[in-house]
Amino acid sequence: MGKKRKQAEVQEVVKKDDTAPPRPKRTLLGWKDGAVVKKSDSAVFRNKEKVLVTCSRRINSRYRHLMMDVVSLLPHCKKDSKVESKETKGATLNEIVELRNCSSILFFECRKQKDLYLWMAKSPGGPSAKFLVNAVHTMEELKLTGNHLKGSRPILTFSSNFDEEPHWKLLKELIMQTFGTPKDHGKAKPFHDHVFVFSIVDRHIWFRNYQISVPHNEIDKVDRGGLDKMTLVEVGPRFCLNPIKIFGGSFGGPTLYENPLYISPNLERAQLKREKATKYVKKVKAKTRRKMHVMENPLEPDEFADLWKE
Amino acid sequence: MGAFKKDKTMDEDDLSDVEEELESKSDSEQELVPLKEPSKDVVYNEDGLLEKLEDIAWPENVDWMHKLTIDHEQAADIDVEDDLAREMAFYTQALDGTRKAFANLQSIGLPFLRPPDYYAEMVKSDTHMLKVKSKLLVEKKKIEEAEERKKAREAKKIAKEVQAQKNKERAKRKKEDIESVKKWRKQRQQSGFAKGKDEDPGFNFDEGNSFERSKKKRPGVAPGDRSGGFKKQGWNKKRDHRESKFGHGGRKGMKKQNTAESTNDFKNFNKGERKK
Repeated sequence: MGKKRKQAEVQEVVKKDDTAPPRPKRTLLGWKDGAVVKKSDSAVFRNKEKVLVTCSRRINSRYRHLMMDVVSLLPHCKKDSKVESKETKGATLNEIVELRNCSSILFFECRKQKDLYLWMAKSPGGPSAKFLVNAVHTMEELKLTGNHLKGSRPILTFSSNFDEEPHWKLLKELIMQTFGTPKDHGKAKPFHDHVFVFSIVDRHIWFRNYQISVPHNEIDKVDRGGLDKMTLVEVGPRFCLNPIKIFGGSFGGPTLYENPLYISPNLERAQLKREKATKYVKKVKAKTRRKMHVMENPLEPDEFADLWKE
Repeated sequence: MGAFKKDKTMDEDDLSDVEEELESKSDSEQELVPLKEPSKDVVYNEDGLLEKLEDIAWPENVDWMHKLTIDHEQAADIDVEDDLAREMAFYTQALDGTRKAFANLQSIGLPFLRPPDYYAEMVKSDTHMLKVKSKLLVEKKKIEEAEERKKAREAKKIAKEVQAQKNKERAKRKKEDIESVKKWRKQRQQSGFAKGKDEDPGFNFDEGNSFERSKKKRPGVAPGDRSGGFKKQGWNKKRDHRESKFGHGGRKGMKKQNTAESTNDFKNFNKGERKK
């Protein structure tokens, strides 16, 4: 019992340390912040990121589950009701973001019940990026054994090729700001037990989420053996983002980047269909070729043709 | 000749049609092909991108604790189609990143790992984890069952072989026995059926039908027994008898037929009763 209390005390200490930046003094009229902020130079920066997460109407259940998974991974997000995906959705979304006091938005747009697009935007000033989401596996359907605290801050790992080109750099910054949980966020827990992977393979951004499991008795001596014994267990979800376009503003503005290799899924399907449809044409073509060949090379008259006639 | 001409004209018509179709198809192919290559007239505003990056980026001297980002040097070529290699690359990235991050966190000096007695809401609910567990168990069971089936199949195979071996041996022995009888006969014929030490051929037929199976369908079971020979094993004699008499299965006919003893047995007839 005594032991437990000790640990609880330790935790308290931790929390105190976590909320180390000195709070502004409370006055009768409110927070007395102006002077205090200037005092502490290191604490000037405070991440107040809030992410609005919504989806379009008529979204697929699978994609909706993916969205819910993302919501459960981001303690600093606010979920809003579905939005009609019309031409004017940008304006409505910007409005909603402003109303909900958010600074960025993740908008899951489902089209034709099968294609999922993800909009990632910084709200008032932009930029915004549009992705096609491939290879979606939700937490529910992936029977993965990993699990981690809800609200613990993730460690974000990026593959090095994010720093190679300007548009990847911008996307990295965007992802870092939206997916990273702000330090000292109210719902965040002061431990780190999961890690996000953002990796560019084949010009797509792949997302994975792993639980960090360290053997319990090793916790106190992580510096010695614990780091080597650490293992990762995947938690899910999985998805793969194919960047389509990057715009200067939020849901609009000048186009800054276009993916030259992007083929819209509609076009892809049309191609497949057309390939199938050409089956008959090919057959007819082969037939006529044969006919032409026969006509061009007529058989020589058979000299033994009327040998048995008499 | 006329027919031929007609054919030819038709052919020409067909050909022209097909050629048209081919042209249209090649048109469509021309549409298709460039999609697989990078299109050239795309927007790529490098300055704009960098400007935007500067706009949204956090100040340079931000503490790492705010970002928690780790860069990982990725292996040069990862085959996207190879699931295992790809996932392995992600895993190594995560592991490497975690190691670096933990080193950083440790240098800050605050505890960062969840103590074992700290319970809080998890991302996956308990019911979900139970489902995962049950799924794992089911998979394990499936594998075990498959293995068992495999084993049984192999055992069956072996048993079959053994049986075949036995049959072979039996046939061989039978043949040998017959041979030896013939040999003995010949010897006796040659010696003019003289009684002597050749009298006993050295067989012992009493030993039983060594090479023949018993003709009884149910060896060791009485013909009228309906219990299939289980009568012997029982402990309640009366019950057993009743079972063998009235139980399921077996032929009833045998019971109702007379035998040599039963014809002569008048024990059950009450002679006096009728006369009265």
